[in-house]
Amino acid sequence: MLRAALLLLLWLLLAAAGATDEPTQESVPLGEPPPGLALFRWQWHEVEAPYLVALWILVASLAKIVFHLSRKVTSLVPESCLLILLGLVLGGIVLAVAKKAEYQLEPGTFFLFLLPPIVLDSGYFMPSRLFFDNLGAILTYAVVGTLWNAFTTGVALWGLQQSGLVAPRVQAGLLDFLLFGSLISAVDPVAVLAVFEEVHVNETLFIIVFGESLLNDAVTVVLYKVCNSFVEMGSANVQATDYLKGVASLFVVSLGGAAVGLVFAFLLALTTRFTKRVRIIEPLLVFLLAYAAYLTAEMASLSAILAVTMCGLGCKKYVEANISHKSRTAVKYTMKTLASCAETVIFMLLGISAVDSSKWAWDSGLVLGTLFFILFFRALGVVLQTWVLNQFRLVPLDKIDQVVMSYGGLRGAVAFALVILLDRTKVPAKDYFVATTIVVVFFTVIVQGLTIKPLVKWLRVKRSDHHKPTLNQELHEHTFDHILAAVEDVVGHHGYHYWRDRWEQFDKKYLSQLLMRRSAYRIRDQIWDVYYRLNIRDAISFVDQGGHVLSSAGLTLPSMPSRNSVAETSVTNLLRESGSGACLDLQVIDTVRSGRDREDAVMHHLLCGGLYKPRRRYKASCGRHFISEDAQERQDKEVFQQNMKRRLESFKSTKHNICFTKNKPRPRKTGHKKAPAVILTVESEEEEESDSSETEKEDDEGIIFVARATSEVLQEGKVSGSLEVCPSPRIIPPSPTCAEKELPWKSGQGDLAVYVSSETTKIVPVDMQTGWNQSISSLESLASPPCTQPPTLTRLPPHPLGMEETQVPLDMSSDPHSSFAFPPSLAKAGRSRSESSADIPHQQELQPLMGHKDHTHLSPGTANSHWCIQFNRGGRL
Amino acid sequence: MGNKQTVFTHEQLEEYQVGVGGRLFYRYQDLAPQLVPLDYTTCPEVKVPYELIGSMPELKDNPFRQRIAQVFSQDGDGHMTLENFLDMFSVMSEMAPRDLKAYYAFKIYDFNNDDYICAWDLEQTVTRLTRGELSAEEVTLVCEKVLDEADSDHDGRLSLEDFQNMILRAPDFLRCRFRPRDGNSCCVI
Repeated sequence: MLRAALLLLLWLLLAAAGATDEPTQESVPLGEPPPGLALFRWQWHEVEAPYLVALWILVASLAKIVFHLSRKVTSLVPESCLLILLGLVLGGIVLAVAKKAEYQLEPGTFFLFLLPPIVLDSGYFMPSRLFFDNLGAILTYAVVGTLWNAFTTGVALWGLQQSGLVAPRVQAGLLDFLLFGSLISAVDPVAVLAVFEEVHVNETLFIIVFGESLLNDAVTVVLYKVCNSFVEMGSANVQATDYLKGVASLFVVSLGGAAVGLVFAFLLALTTRFTKRVRIIEPLLVFLLAYAAYLTAEMASLSAILAVTMCGLGCKKYVEANISHKSRTAVKYTMKTLASCAETVIFMLLGISAVDSSKWAWDSGLVLGTLFFILFFRALGVVLQTWVLNQFRLVPLDKIDQVVMSYGGLRGAVAFALVILLDRTKVPAKDYFVATTIVVVFFTVIVQGLTIKPLVKWLRVKRSDHHKPTLNQELHEHTFDHILAAVEDVVGHHGYHYWRDRWEQFDKKYLSQLLMRRSAYRIRDQIWDVYYRLNIRDAISFVDQGGHVLSSAGLTLPSMPSRNSVAETSVTNLLRESGSGACLDLQVIDTVRSGRDREDAVMHHLLCGGLYKPRRRYKASCGRHFISEDAQERQDKEVFQQNMKRRLESFKSTKHNICFTKNKPRPRKTGHKKAPAVILTVESEEEEESDSSETEKEDDEGIIFVARATSEVLQEGKVSGSLEVCPSPRIIPPSPTCAEKELPWKSGQGDLAVYVSSETTKIVPVDMQTGWNQSISSLESLASPPCTQPPTLTRLPPHPLGMEETQVPLDMSSDPHSSFAFPPSLAKAGRSRSESSADIPHQQELQPLMGHKDHTHLSPGTANSHWCIQFNRGGRL
Repeated sequence: MGNKQTVFTHEQLEEYQVGVGGRLFYRYQDLAPQLVPLDYTTCPEVKVPYELIGSMPELKDNPFRQRIAQVFSQDGDGHMTLENFLDMFSVMSEMAPRDLKAYYAFKIYDFNNDDYICAWDLEQTVTRLTRGELSAEEVTLVCEKVLDEADSDHDGRLSLEDFQNMILRAPDFLRCRFRPRDGNSCCVI
């Protein structure tokens, strides 16, 4: 069963070709005549093992769902407790049915398959800066604390036995107790993570307890192995050199493990540098190499936990920069899924294993003594070490922190797996140790896990507050790192900042150059990165606020998961995948203008303006091995263009006066106030073509100018078809009409050719300048003299991509397409927007609602980018 | 600070030469052995020119070296007296109050010494931090965002007040993780 568990987890890990692992061949007994063609054959035994594993995981997942049905239960009881209890129940059922204990937690499975995903997850997502800032404290607790716990617990238990409080049937000497002390003393990362993630203590406290639980693995492994070999040798044969070897092996195991991890991190980063054409393989590489690091360290009997932690910690920066956005999401989700799956299974199997009474033997003195000693010595150790550390720490750990740290020393599956591994012939008291370990694990996970939350609340431990990371913070943190490093340099003090500064320079000069793609390296600049992320967050919060707009279209926003990172992707994904059929602005079509409509309209505009490619259609991916486009680059472009748009809007406000003089505004007619008018920006034919031309369009860094004439133009009958396209100063009032204010796609954009001032070019990147200038000149030439437009239009070359051929005819008055009759209203001069090509698909989405569209695309047709100018005339008569 | 006499009494010298101050003093003396006398009671008018400080190998990659020296030197030219040198260390040490740190941080940011952090100052900072890897447009965008975040009175520039507000908001910022190796006796101001 558990071998099958290995298979299945491997299968999950590889996420591919799992079928080959399963025995699928038909077994026809030799020597017997074939029984003929069987219509139906039951082959339970061939699928039994993987089937059972899958079933167990399924049960665990279903249990999780059930637990989370009631918010009240999960807020009071940590999930790990519930899972252990469930395991107990299930184990009892199995025991009752099968009359023997099955499906237990076996050390092999645990160490090879269940532990790595959890450690990788925690290492990869470890906040590295926080970790290194507190490295001193973490190392002290992990090394000194663990040694202290192991020795004091072992010796105290031995003393307990000498004093006769432990029944004499527990046959154990000092070495046995030391061995037991070493395995019971280590704080368990799985248990700590499971409990502390729900408690939300402040970051420093969390990183210290959690970092300790990760790093003390090396110490535990060494202590355990040394003690174990001493026990096996027999205490008489142990020589002084063996003790020295034991100490030396501590360094070998820990540093060796870390080195293995770093080597693999380097390999991983280097490999992902070259995956540009096989994006699909990127997540797989991350998992494979991290797992390889774990196995390699395990093979060399180094600290595997340390190896995989360092691998995750070391590679993250480079890998995240190299792999595509989608791969990043895939890595994140898969890692979290695997870790949560492994954690669930561990706790459940722990519960099941405890039921098997054949393995353990009870001794009250030992159990109670151990419980008391581990709690007491942990607390004592923490207080002593903290006292020493506080002499050096800037922010001393206060008493409350110490209480939480002592109380948070949870023991878990690592201790259990280690105690199961003991050899009964060499350690006669194994059964007692097993029982004690189980009690200790259950006590710490259930009792302490249950009470730590009220305790934290009662003590008013500083919780972690999720403040938004601001650009300022990032900026000043960088600056201060530099300043402090400079001060340290000047006074010749080689402190923490000195080394960090050195490291950063080394990283920048050599490592990043070597391990990052050139394009990624450029993007990776942290300040820009933060800026980019902030922008995305802004966009998401827009969506968040506009939730009801979405739901009206049949979409619901997912409740934000607790991890922000997850939320980021899910919302955008949802929006992207929501399909073309849904229209976001049903209400806007409604002619009744209420406050709510207006609000919706504003929301819609926020969506239009704030969303990055809200709903994008991808070209159907053509193969399993390739992901067609690089979303990352596209989004970078988008972010940039988005900001340009914002800039343009701010220009609008500053330039408003000029706008008036240029366009000779005239007072808006009151009659237009109530007229619901829609200005259409969408081309009728584009939709069919868009799918095919989408990719091409995205490659362009096109900025689309949309100049609009209004129905008013038509209404007054003064305009010939050819003239309409031009924003005539006389007819078109620049001030926004009521409808403009109300209609989302117009609000905030109610200005004119003014945008095209020379200043706007400042924000255009240099490589876009030529195209920009061309567009401006063409637009201006269009705009200035009313009567010269038709020639201007004809001068311009047709769109190079040919996507708008059908719309080229300028004769608007004959336009028969409109299916909605919108009352005329709304004058609007030419409007120019610079926006990403993303707007094109976005506009398409609006199209089904607005029956009518006509437009003209003009493109100066530069070689690399096309600048298309759209002239849209508003609704019809 | 800058107005104090630079003549040290014997007691003060004693103090500087034993504790942390001593280490600092010898460090200072090391910077320009030919300029700085060991006997400080007689010859107060010594400045280590910026060229010597800025050319320290450890500092040559630091984007803010000149700015730091300028801010802490008495007359803004980057040449530092012993007192300036000790001041710099004190301000950045753990014992210095947060407001003082914020004040000097502000001064370091304020490249054009107009008592406001304006867009230009920020651009300088960002350009230095990114070592010229961002294009001018990107720098402008980032600066705009930074101003936008912290500018509470919307005057397009950050006053000292804005700056302090911002620092107070960030919980662990400026909690200055710098701590001299040998204890806390280095506060000289």
